[in-house]
Order: sequence, then structure tokens, then C-alpha cells
Amino acid sequence: MSYTITCPICGKRDLYEFRFGNEDRGPAPDQEGLTPRTYSDAVQMHEAVDGPQKEWWYHRDGCGVWFTVWRNTLTGRETSESGEIS
Amino acid sequence: MTRLPSAPTEKIDRSKTVAFKWQGIPMNGLKGDSVASALFANGVRIVSRSLKYHRPRGLYSLDGESGNTMVNIEGECNVRAENTPLREGMNVLPQNTLGRVENDLFGILDRFDGFMPAGFYYRKFHKPPFIWPLALKGIRRMAGTGKVDLAKEYDSDRYEEIYLNGEIAVLGGGPAGLSAALAAADQGLRVVLFEARPELGGFYDWRTREYAPGQPLFERAGELVEKVKARDNIRLFTHTFVNNLAGDNIVTGFQVGNDDDSFEQRYLQLRPKAVVVATGCIERPLIFENNERPGVMQANCALRLAQTYGLLPGSAAVFSVGDDLGLESAVDLANRGLKVLAVADARKDGHDPALVTALKSKEIPFLPGWAASEARGGKTVDGAVLGNLDSNETRRFACDLLVASAGLTPVTGSLSTAQAKFAFDQHTGFFLPSQLPPRIHAGGRLLGYIEPAAIEASGALAGLRAAKDAGVDVAMDDAEATLSNLPGPAKGCSVVHGPGIGMGRKSFVCFDEDGTYKLAKQSVEQGFDVSELAKRFGVFGLGPSQGGIPGHNLPLVLAELRGDGMDGLFSTTVRSPLVPTLIATLAGPNHDIFKRTPMNDVQEQAGAIFRRAGVWKRARYFSNDLTSSDEIEAIRNDVGIIDVSTLGKFRLFGPDALKALQRVYISDMSRIPDGKLRYSAMLNHDGMIVDDGVVTRDGDGAYYLTASTGRAGGTIEWIRYHTRYDGWNFHMVNLTDTLAAVNLAGPRSREVLFRVTDADLSNEAFPYMGYRKISLTGDIPALALRVGFVGELSYELHFPASYGQAVWELLMEAGKEFNIRPFGLEAQFVLRLEKGHLIIGQESEQRVNLMDLGLGFLWDRKDKASKKIGAPALAFSEEQTDRFKLTGFRMDDPGRTPGDGSIVYEGEEIVGFVCTSRFSKTLEQSIGMAVVRDDLVKEGGRLHIFQYDANNPIRYTATVAPTPFYDREGLRLRS
Amino acid sequence: MKLERLWGSSPFKSAYDAVMIGGGIHGLATAYFLAKEHGMKNVAVLERRYVGFGGSGRNTAIVRANQRSQGNVKLYDEGLKLWPELIRDLDFNMMFFNCGNLNTFHSEAAMGAARLAVSTAQFCGVKSELLDRKQCKELIPILNIEDNITYPVFGGMYHQPGGIVRHDAVTWGLAKGAVSYGAHIHQKTEVTGIDVEDGKVAGVQTSRGTIKSPRVLICCGGYGALMAQKVGIKLPLHPLTIQAMVTQPLKPVLHHVISSGAYHVYANQTLKGEIATGAHMDPWPNYTTNTTPHYFKHQAEALSELLPCLRGVKFMRHWAGLADMTPDMAPIMHGNDPVKGLYMDVGWGYFGFKSGPVAGKYLAKYIVDAKRPKMLEPFSLRRFEQFRPTGETAGAFSYGPWN
Repeated sequence: MSYTITCPICGKRDLYEFRFGNEDRGPAPDQEGLTPRTYSDAVQMHEAVDGPQKEWWYHRDGCGVWFTVWRNTLTGRETSESGEIS
Repeated sequence: MTRLPSAPTEKIDRSKTVAFKWQGIPMNGLKGDSVASALFANGVRIVSRSLKYHRPRGLYSLDGESGNTMVNIEGECNVRAENTPLREGMNVLPQNTLGRVENDLFGILDRFDGFMPAGFYYRKFHKPPFIWPLALKGIRRMAGTGKVDLAKEYDSDRYEEIYLNGEIAVLGGGPAGLSAALAAADQGLRVVLFEARPELGGFYDWRTREYAPGQPLFERAGELVEKVKARDNIRLFTHTFVNNLAGDNIVTGFQVGNDDDSFEQRYLQLRPKAVVVATGCIERPLIFENNERPGVMQANCALRLAQTYGLLPGSAAVFSVGDDLGLESAVDLANRGLKVLAVADARKDGHDPALVTALKSKEIPFLPGWAASEARGGKTVDGAVLGNLDSNETRRFACDLLVASAGLTPVTGSLSTAQAKFAFDQHTGFFLPSQLPPRIHAGGRLLGYIEPAAIEASGALAGLRAAKDAGVDVAMDDAEATLSNLPGPAKGCSVVHGPGIGMGRKSFVCFDEDGTYKLAKQSVEQGFDVSELAKRFGVFGLGPSQGGIPGHNLPLVLAELRGDGMDGLFSTTVRSPLVPTLIATLAGPNHDIFKRTPMNDVQEQAGAIFRRAGVWKRARYFSNDLTSSDEIEAIRNDVGIIDVSTLGKFRLFGPDALKALQRVYISDMSRIPDGKLRYSAMLNHDGMIVDDGVVTRDGDGAYYLTASTGRAGGTIEWIRYHTRYDGWNFHMVNLTDTLAAVNLAGPRSREVLFRVTDADLSNEAFPYMGYRKISLTGDIPALALRVGFVGELSYELHFPASYGQAVWELLMEAGKEFNIRPFGLEAQFVLRLEKGHLIIGQESEQRVNLMDLGLGFLWDRKDKASKKIGAPALAFSEEQTDRFKLTGFRMDDPGRTPGDGSIVYEGEEIVGFVCTSRFSKTLEQSIGMAVVRDDLVKEGGRLHIFQYDANNPIRYTATVAPTPFYDREGLRLRS
Repeated sequence: MKLERLWGSSPFKSAYDAVMIGGGIHGLATAYFLAKEHGMKNVAVLERRYVGFGGSGRNTAIVRANQRSQGNVKLYDEGLKLWPELIRDLDFNMMFFNCGNLNTFHSEAAMGAARLAVSTAQFCGVKSELLDRKQCKELIPILNIEDNITYPVFGGMYHQPGGIVRHDAVTWGLAKGAVSYGAHIHQKTEVTGIDVEDGKVAGVQTSRGTIKSPRVLICCGGYGALMAQKVGIKLPLHPLTIQAMVTQPLKPVLHHVISSGAYHVYANQTLKGEIATGAHMDPWPNYTTNTTPHYFKHQAEALSELLPCLRGVKFMRHWAGLADMTPDMAPIMHGNDPVKGLYMDVGWGYFGFKSGPVAGKYLAKYIVDAKRPKMLEPFSLRRFEQFRPTGETAGAFSYGPWN
């Protein structure tokens, strides 16, 4: 919907300036004791969230920082964890 | 047709005649005419034929709400005559007609509507099966209205784009919009105002009614316009169509240029802090039998013909209106000389007494509670039937003009695209916004206000609210109080259609799609009874002007047919673009943007043929010999030089630099000896190779690394991504564009380099996979890397980009005595194939991981602590069988080379494909690399290859061969 | 003469032998085949809004069998051959315009990829030809094969058996057919939960009450991952917003489907005369189905280079839908794991329409036999954890299917 998100360095910018880096699911798992199933769950499978979701974004056409924002996948807008940011 | 006496509201310049042609016939209009008014002035009443029934259509409204007056002008089809200013010499043609538009031979289809009930095409033409292709041909030919002119050019220089700045956007330049703009500008904000018509003033523009004693509305419009023009923080765009209001208030649209503008059209975009939507109203069409016949027109249209263009809309008229504006148009037109035979008003009460008095004083019969039930006349109106909405009483008139309207419809399209929610308001009869998106405000007529002062106050209040959203601390109370003391939104007209509609066989809900009341009924009968379904099944609102005409009426008609009453009425979804937009305008100048290396020009002079490689242009060949055999020979026997400036180059440094490297590279990066290159790969979580390159130490804790051209732009992103949770202290600098690079390759490359540097280039001092900082001619600092992509002794030099051309010329000069030749990507491609070196994306794909590619030796499997990306995937798939592996092969017949991409098969099954294959002059064999199922990859194994190009199936056999094909011991690399 | 409802309304029962969550063509086709070919008539399709409101009604209805991998080609080829049968059996005109599909390729490497697809198709008995740039122009005269554009055309792959179909006709025809064989369709019925007992599916919770069923199929397009998550199943899916637009209707000017990977653009001319065009997906997950001006402009730029005569044509409508994308651009059709009786038909990205009927055919078999049919072997959910993608796309996967 041509929304914007707020880069911590550059401020509010058009979403197309950024690259999406998946939902925040924590660091890749320790490599001891992994099975194909636990590995796949950690790095291949996604949380399906129809609401506010914490996501990683990269400012590709700008400063090059990776950061997280909360974004509501139902509306496309940047949000706080519980509600919408105006 | 003679024009009426001058009026102060007119926009025509009677001193300037403009010549044009219609259907080849020369005609004249005046400057200020639109194409539609010019046609009307010349007596043209039938302008087009409708899509399905080929019914005659003409002027109905004046803002392009329907496709009735779409014409072909100078080869451009589907041009809205109402919105297009007349220009000298225009060649205007009708569309969708066989023969002259007055006598369209397809007009006979109008009689066959009975054979075309709603959804008829789903039930017909499919049996027997052979009928369908024939029917399809006919359907395609009859479909569509405009014809594309294949010869017409659209000069991209005449289509500009402009990206605006401003805190407030105001959509609509009528009284509400102008008031909003002034209110916001008064707060010191920058306002950008967009108005679709060529002039500002909105619906005041043609009205003579008083705004204040001695000040008619059109003069009040002028006053507001002057005020707005005087502000230097209000930027005005007229003849500008906003076609979308989308997420976070991005406003997009296009402006049509004047004769003296540098553009035909230009694309505009603005992302303001807040928006005021004051786009006013259009008229809601009255539905009755033949309600789209030429000679039926909306009240606004009839009045503006007279007031704006000086044209009497007919000679004898009947009116069927739904609001005071309709009554006012009857009175004003009567004052201008129109013979008004009767005025019906669908409202039974609530009429403005002054207007009723005016009608009576002109002895015009006034019929409250009546509305039109039929327009009569074969091709144009020659009579009208009015009916009493409560009884069967009717009255018939002979007339050539039937002004018909069911009141107003708010233009809420931009609110709809912005995802406002709407609810049906009983009082106004409008679908009003019940929930506006953040920082968007509405004002003016579209909220139902009718009274001029209220319209302006509503606009001003919206402007203040927008200013507040833009961060100005504004007190709203006064403005709110002012508005609440003025008359509120007016009661709307609740009539859905004229009396006695019966089947409604030719009562049109949608003009563009010939969607009738009867078809709506049939849609409901077949279960498609809400707007979103009926739209697609019955077909309403999907035509060239989209929802303009049926938008408001469709849900009302369906509700009535369902028997629901007005509960659960939903407005039809309006989609962008709000106004059909020319592809040339959207494309704009469309500059081709790409990057060139500093050595681009010297290569071009040397005859290079360039190809796009990602964002770059790179030399692929240096002659028309697409096998590049001369270059290949030069490299194998003497020396060649290739521009590799596009390679990714990075400096990575900091206390935790090594940790970052250990994370993203699959090899052990911890013990890279001084002056040595470490070749490794970066994998993704599935163990697939995403990039390869060399890494070297570059001083205390710092590293210098290379990446492939295609991945260079993503390297920093990738490394930062995979270390984002660790909080490590390291930094990266992207030197890709800072440093140019060349690769000097061939047995004589050392000799060439020796000519330009004092560095010790002996094999002992500078061995294979070594890395040295050298200087060229004593001045130019360079990094020298002994890499061996093409399998010969070679030196890759990285140096500051500003020396690019100089270094190239330097080396070419130094290499003259050694027969140096420049080479391009194709030569490099073949040579590296002979060495069995893979190119990412050519030999790698989703089904093969690092081990499958034969690069498993790069994997430092002991290191689990670094959490190397992709390592677990390698561990889990290591023991698997039935995987694809990369293998070399040699064709059994050296003279036959399969094309890249040919498949490898075994029996009925596809078991792999050829990644690269070429005839090697050096080896005098056809060789290649393929990805093949593991059980077939055994030395000496047979591979069956199949290729199919242009109806030509070819089968080959090949034998699995180890790589490298050339110089297996790597003697030449290490020399 | 009053016309009949296209399909009758169904009584709401509290138990069925199988339940399809999602009233698009996958769910409708599965119900149709269950009832018609397997005699399992006591089945219901549950749809939150109206049938065809999701992807089934928003796609640009291109059908083809020119995929990259053998497993996919076989499935889509059978899909293509199903249309005439369906039209006959449903007695509904799906308006199949067999105009053929041309994919253009814009570099030497891309021509290699073209050859792979063409050879794969022909090897599987599917018509497909590799053309050079001149032949592309002969086929589509309005194609621009000059060198002075961003991505000059090198050649193309022409797949004659493909074309376009009328998407609404397929949806409504299948609905009519399913009901005529005894299946039930419940519109405006939202599934709010899936009941599982002892590792076996027991039924679903809906906005109109509980329905017991030992067989539940998740086939709700872009919402599939949300539905699966109700029983704790995570999927490798991102629902992306995919956009398309149409021009005003024109007299015939484009007589084939044309598609360009480099430009991310495809175009075809519908039977109404509109040029339907698209192929952009916003590279982040969304359930919004909103369009963006960014792609509106981008599309025009691409078309103005590839089909320059369209510069004088106007876009009139722009819409979007959901494409749930897997890493290997191939669907997931998976059942009885981890929940017995629970089947998932997801990950169809932007190719779910063309496969609807054939997917329904095999899903019906899968559901009845409780065993994976051979045709569906490449589409297991577990292929990802085994690092055995279908090979339908080439690229290594980074964060999402867009890079």
C-alpha cells in the first residue's frame, strides 16, 4: 500500500527503500543437537501472523542498517506491539 | 449552431476559432471549448455506440463519468471528449461503429438483448466444442471500444514526472477545497492543491445565484481563487487528475499540459503529512427506460453547456430532477431562453420555495412526486414520458431534451482507495465515510453540504484539522462552531428509478457495459445479488470509465430487487486508478539507468559488444565472432586482459571481524597466512552457495574480500543480517565502485606486468593464491591477487577507479609486444569451463548444495561454535542418495555440442541438465558441466542428452569426465 | 421467465465426510471430484465470504504447462487437458482462449534457462518451442525487439497449448457442478478453529457452529498458513500481495499471452478486449490486498518498452490478491502428517488458478485413499527439511522468494 516505516537513522521512509528480512525469530539455533526437523522449524518455517508482527528490515536504498519494527500484516502499517501508530 | 449571448460565466473565447474534423467533416469550435462542447456546438448528438448493444450515445455529463463521449483523437483511442480541450486541427473519430456513427450497422444488436440475459455467455457457445473457437473470434472482434494506432509515437520527452513537497494536499479546487487550502496555508504550511478541471471554482463556477447580496456565486468563486493565487505557499495544479490516494497518504496523479507547456502530460507524486478531500459531487443518474438516449442529459451538463460554453442544450426540454440544483438549472436555463415544458421533481416536498416560485412565474408546470419513466425517440430524444411515483398517472411530451437526475452522488473515490469505511446515510442518501484513515479529512459537498457558506466552512475546518495533523497546534473550536451554526447536509433524493420501470429492459444502470435494470434482476435471480457479485456477473461498472455512472445506483437497485430495504447496504469498492491513466504518462521519461566501469569507453573503442550484467554493462565479446576464439587463443598462448571492475570488493575490520567471517564463510577463516588468499563460499541455510570469492588479511584484524558481481550489492547486507543478534564490533566498507579491477591472464602476463611495476613477481616471491600490494609506474597503488579463474598464470589488479582508463591503456601498451588482447565475458566463460570452475547461477541452483557441487572440501566441519550458515544442512544431507551432483562431461561426438539448458535423461525420467557446454578449441573437444543424478555420475558413465530448439529434437550421448579438462595439475596456474 | 440460481443453497449440517476450508477453485474442484469420481457426496465447502472472492476471482487466468521441472510439467499438462472435459461435464463455458504463451528471454544465460524449460516440456510430450528474436516478432508483431531498451529480447519460448480462461466461469462452473453432484457450499461461513483429537482431525469450528468431519482440507489460498497454525503447524510460506491491472477495452491487438522474466511483466488480451497485465509481488508478507502506485508506474515502464504501442492506452483498474510463496515456487500438497485426516493444499503462489481443477482431482484421490498419489509425490511438506526442492525455480533462497 506504499506505506512507510521508520528507519532508526534516516527516519520515516517509503517501504520500497527497504528489504524485508523475515519475522523476528531469534538467532539461528546452536548447531549441537539439531535434527533436520528442529533445524527446519527454526530456519525454514515461518510464523503466520495476521496482526502486529516484529520484523527485521534493511535500509537498502539508504544507510544500510538492519533494524526491527512492529508492522501490522493486516493493514500494512507500522505499529507498536499492540496498536497502530498514526 | 449559434452561441447564446455572452455571459460572465463563460469560458470560451469568441474571438478565436478553432478548426477540427469529425468523421472527416471540417468543423469549427472556439478556444475554450472541450471537444465535447465543440461537437455539440456543431449539432453532433451521436458521439459513440455502446459496447454490447451498439446503442447511440451522446453528451450526458461534462466530467467524463461515462464512456458515452469517448472518441479517437489523432490515433489515440478512448479519449474523453468532455475533459479534452479542443486544439487546432484535431482529427476526431468515433469508436465502436461499423460505418458512420449515426448509422452504425451493428445498431441492430440492440434488438437482440433478449438473447443476451445476464451471464448468457457462460451457457452458450461451448457445445458442440467446435463452435467455441468460431464464437471466440466474433466475440473478440466485437469487444473493446478503442482501436490502438500502431503507428502513433509517444515521445517520452513529452511525458514528464514531478515529485512534489508540501505538508498538506488538497484534492478539489471548488469552494471547500479553496477554503481548506487557505485555512492550512494561514498556519504557515505548504499546501498543494489538485483540481481536475482546467479552472478553479468548482460548482460555483457557472451559477448565478447569489452568494451574498450583489455577489453571484461565480464571482465568489473568483474571489476565493484570487485569494488562493495570492498565497505563495499554495501551489496549484489544474487540469490535474488525482488517480490514487494510498497508504500513508501518498497522492499520485497526472496533469494534462497546455499548449505552451513542455509536456503532454506529467506524472505527479506527493506524500503530504495530511490530506483534505473536497472532491464534491457528481449527479446520480435517474434510471428509466432509455435513460441514456442522446438528448437525455444531467442537469449540471445542460446548465454548463449554456453558462460555460454558450450553447443551448436543446430547443424544447422536460426536466426530471431530484434536488434544488436541478430546479435551479431549469430556472437558469429558462432564463437563457430554453423552452421548458415541464419540471418534475422526485421529491414530494422540501423544495426551495424561491425556485418553485420562479418556475411558476415562468408558467412552467411543476410536478412534485413525479419522475421520468421513458425517453422516446429512435436515435435521439424526440419525446419524454413523466410518471407519478405514487400512481399510474403519466404525461407525455414532445421534446428534444430530457434533463434527468436523481440528485447527487459524492465523489468519494479517493477516500475509498485510502481504505475509508463507508455507511449508508438515510438523510442524504449518500454512502458517507464512517471511518477515515489517519490524517485524511473530508469537507464540502461530498459530506452532503449544499449551502455555500456551509460548504466553505466545512472545507476550512477540514483544512485546520489537516494542519493539526501536520503538527501545528491549532484551535478548532471557532471553526467547528461556525459550521454547526450553518445549515447541515441536505436531504437527498431517495428515488432509485423512475415510475413504472417494469422489466427495465432498456433502463440502464451502467452505460459503459450496457448493464440494465433487467440484467440486475437476472443477476439477483441467479444468486449474484450483492454489488461485488453482480458487478462481475451482470456486468456493471467494469467498463472504460469504471464506476462513475453505476457506482451509487447499483447497491440501491440490488437492495430493491432483493427486497431488503436499505439495511446492510454496502457501497461498491472503488479501485485505483480513479481516472484512467495513459501508460505513456505513467512510464514518463523512463530513463534506462545502469552503471559503467571506468574502462567502458576504451573497451568500446576496441570494438567491445556490451551486455547487461545486473546493474552494469559489461563487455561480452570483442568481435562478431561469438565464440571469441581469437581472444581465447590469445589468453592460452600469450596474454589477455579483462575488465573485472564490477566485482564486489570490501574491507571488513574491527575487533570482531574474524567472528563475522567465520559466521558467513563455510571455511575456517582463522589462519589465513600473510600475503595469501583464501578461497571460500558463503552459503544459505539450505547449504546452497550464494556467493564465492577470496579473502585476505589486510593489516591488524582487517580483511579484504571479494564477491561476485551479481552479489556485490548484497554482501554487506548479508553479513550484517547473519550477525544481527550478536552485537559484534566490526565494520564494513564497500569498495566495489571505489576500486577498478582488471585481470591480466596468460603465460606472458608476468612479463607484461613486469613492464609496469618494480615489484618482485617471481614465482617464489609471489606464488599462486598470493596477495601483494604493489605500485604501477611508481604512482598507482594496486592490490595484486594471483587468482586462476581462467586457468592460466594471471594477476588480478585492484586499484583506485579514477586510474581505470590509465591502467588499461598502460597495460595494453606494455602488452603490445606480447600480443595482448582484450577479452570479454564469453571468452572467460569458455576458459573457466575448461578448468571446471563454476559460475554462481550457471552451475549452481536450488537442488545442489556445496557438497553436490564438489566443493565440500571448503567446509570446516569441526567448527560448530561459529554457527556457520548452512553447515547443518550440509551435515544432514551428506549421507543422502538420489541427489543431483555437478559433473564434467565430454561429448561422444566432438563436433556436436548441446545447448546450455539441454536436459539429461534416463529412460522416461529427466535426471539433470546441462549447465554449460562449449566446443573447446584448446582441447578440440565438446565439453561441459551438468547437474546429474548421483547414480549416473561415475567416471566413464554414459549420459543421454536431449535438446529441443524450434521444432528440432536432438539427442546426444556424452561421457562423464573429471574436471578440470585442461591442465589437470594446475601447472600453468602455478607457473 | 425467472432465471434459476446458478447453484442452490445448501442446508447447514453438523457433520460431513469431508470439509474444504476455502471456497475458491481448489476447494470447489476437490468437492466436485470427491462427489463425482469417488461417490463421496456428503462433503462441504466452507467459504468465509463468497466463492471466488479470493485469488480465484482476482487472477489473470493464464493457463499453461511450461514449467521448469518434470514433476510440475506433468501436473499442469494434465491440468490443461482437463479444461475441455470440465466444460463438457459442467456444461459451462469457461471461455478457454487457446492463444498460446510466449515467454521472452533477455540474455544468453536466460536462453539457456529457456532451453531447459522447452526441452523438459517436449520430453514430457508437451508442445513448446525455442524461438529466436525474429521469430518472436513474427509471432507477436507488436513486440519490440530493438536493442535500445533496458532488456532487449534475445529469444523466447512459445507454448502453443496454453492461453487464458475466464476465471469467474471456472469458479461458478465448479460451484454449479459440485452442488449438482451433491456437495454443499456454505458461503459467509468462517472457520474459526480446527478440532484435533488424539492426533486425528475431528472437525472444524465455524461462525455458524461446529461441524464434525474426519477429513479436513485447508485450501484457503493466501490464508492457508494462518489456518494451519490453528493446529500448530508452521509452513515455509510468505503471503505476498500480488498486483495486476487492466487497460480500457480495445479491439484485438494482442493475440497471445506474453511474459518476460527480466521485466517482471506479462500481458494478455481478455475476451472483453482489456489488456490484463501484472506480475509484481510486494516482497514482504501482507494480508492487505492493497495496490501500490510504485508498481502501477513500474508496469507502465515495462510495457512501454516491450509493447510500445500500448503507450497510447490507459490503465483503468488495478487490484491485488495474495500469493503464498514457497521457497521453490511449487505448492505443498500434504496430508496425514502431523495430523491424521488433515490435508493441506497451500503454497500455490501465483500459479494456483491454472492448477485448480487438476489439484482438486488429485486431492480428492489423496483424501479418499488417505495415501499420497504418485502425481503428488514432488509436493510433500517434508521436502524442505530434506533439502530436496522441486527445482521449479533456480535461485538460492535468501530471506524470501524474492531474493
